Amino acid sequence: MPVVGRERYVEVAEVSKVYRAGTAEAIEAVSSVSFTVPRGQFVAVLGPSGCGKSTLLMMLGGLESVTAGHIAVGGEPMTVPRTSIGIMFQDPTLLPWKSALDNVLFPIRVLKRPLNTYRDGARELLERVGLDGFMHKKPHELSGGMRQRVAICRTLVYDPELLLMDEPFSALDAITRDEMNELLLDLWQQYTKTALFVTHSIREAVFLADRVLVMTRRPATIVEDLTIPFARPRPMAIGESREFNAICGHLRERVGESRSRANGHRAEPNRARPGPAA
Amino acid sequence: MTAEYSAVPRIAIAPARPAGKPALTGPRLSQARPVILPLMTAAVVLLVWQIVVAVLRIPAVILPPPAEIGYELWRVLPVLLHHAVPTTLDSLMAFFSASALGVGVAIVITYSPFLRDMLYPNLVLFQLIPKVALAPLFVVWLGIGSQSRVAFATFVSFFPVVISAAVGFANVECSALRLCRSLTASEWQCFTIVRFPFALPAIFSGMKIAMTMAVIGVIIGEFISAQAGLGFYILYASSRMETAVIFAALFVLCVIGVALFGAVALAEELVRRSYGRR
Repeated sequence: MPVVGRERYVEVAEVSKVYRAGTAEAIEAVSSVSFTVPRGQFVAVLGPSGCGKSTLLMMLGGLESVTAGHIAVGGEPMTVPRTSIGIMFQDPTLLPWKSALDNVLFPIRVLKRPLNTYRDGARELLERVGLDGFMHKKPHELSGGMRQRVAICRTLVYDPELLLMDEPFSALDAITRDEMNELLLDLWQQYTKTALFVTHSIREAVFLADRVLVMTRRPATIVEDLTIPFARPRPMAIGESREFNAICGHLRERVGESRSRANGHRAEPNRARPGPAA
Repeated sequence: MTAEYSAVPRIAIAPARPAGKPALTGPRLSQARPVILPLMTAAVVLLVWQIVVAVLRIPAVILPPPAEIGYELWRVLPVLLHHAVPTTLDSLMAFFSASALGVGVAIVITYSPFLRDMLYPNLVLFQLIPKVALAPLFVVWLGIGSQSRVAFATFVSFFPVVISAAVGFANVECSALRLCRSLTASEWQCFTIVRFPFALPAIFSGMKIAMTMAVIGVIIGEFISAQAGLGFYILYASSRMETAVIFAALFVLCVIGVALFGAVALAEELVRRSYGRR
């Protein structure tokens, strides 16, 4: 697929990941994936569960090494984690003995930045996500959605340029999930980060993203690179529109295709296969 | 007389509680039950003890009645307290060195797979040796001074700390560690901010066992060689057939044990609270 935008802020070129456990058969989790993301774009990576899209995201965050190919963010090759990148995981991963506010300030403590300069910002973020009255509550006193909101604030507090989100709302119920999506878009619009959002929900991907990449099941490759035409801000109601549903239908077809295709296809160890849609 | 009479049952007799307890299940009593029931049980046991000894005319050398033990306790209390000092101090010393050593070894095991493979199976295997049998060795190595008793008690109480701390360090939520890594935290930061606090409950449960083991170790050491201490005094009283004095010494020993254990439990609570508030 052709690349949108002039700038290649995130560059993923022919990236593969092969897991090898001892002498057992190698498992190719990601197979020759290539794409670029310009600064400020919100990209959703859509694919069935366990298709290797999380692995791709972890490689982008420098938490996993690449087996072949290369990844660069901001022109510099990605090898180790960086403070200009914020990662949101599937679970909120809050420290149970810290209050919501202290959890938000956790990265500041780790990065040894002055806490006082960030405290107001952290409060503001928490107010922004509607947790004004819960700043001093412990994680066990918060609901699942609240905890994930704290995690969003924690990712934003140190102002990373690139947000990597690994199905952050997959554990939430549908109603809370819609709320969180709206909130995320809201925040994203205010802070305008480059974002990569991994999800297996088609509607979530279309609602959130400027662009959706469809990944096949293992070994994961990109089979579709679709630009979402909706203007921002996007109200929740666009989910009812005909165009929205047409896009969802199309993507569902592509995901379905990729599934049946992947079924007749076994992992080939040691050899990187050229991606069909790269 | 009444004062020590009511104090004796709770601790000294607790392990010997018979199954036949008075039924206390009324709804009004349900709240006070945890306190009243064990006290009443102990009181009944003591009463039965007193009566049985009198009715069966059991000689006081074999089993002195509780009242006589209470009297002896009051009579020899200054001597007992004098002997309690070295026992307590040695136990505390053994406990602290065992805790420090145990946590230290656990850290080494956690961070070096090589040393873990080298040490851990041996440590577990060592647990299976009846360590009490090694007490005379410590006298051979370190003489009859308090250092041999402290060393032996340390040796006895060290294992529970290593094992539980190692398990605690290993069972840290790996998502929390991944979060740390994504924030470019150093290994030391990961340890102090995440791994250690997460492992604290496990470490404390090991330390609580270590505390009781340390007292046992010191008493065994005092049985083998000592000029002072409660273990020494028990042995001395038994050589003079002063059975009531032995029981009195046991009571003091129980009080010390409970106090030391309580101190560790209190420390745990304080640490937990300080982690709760911060």
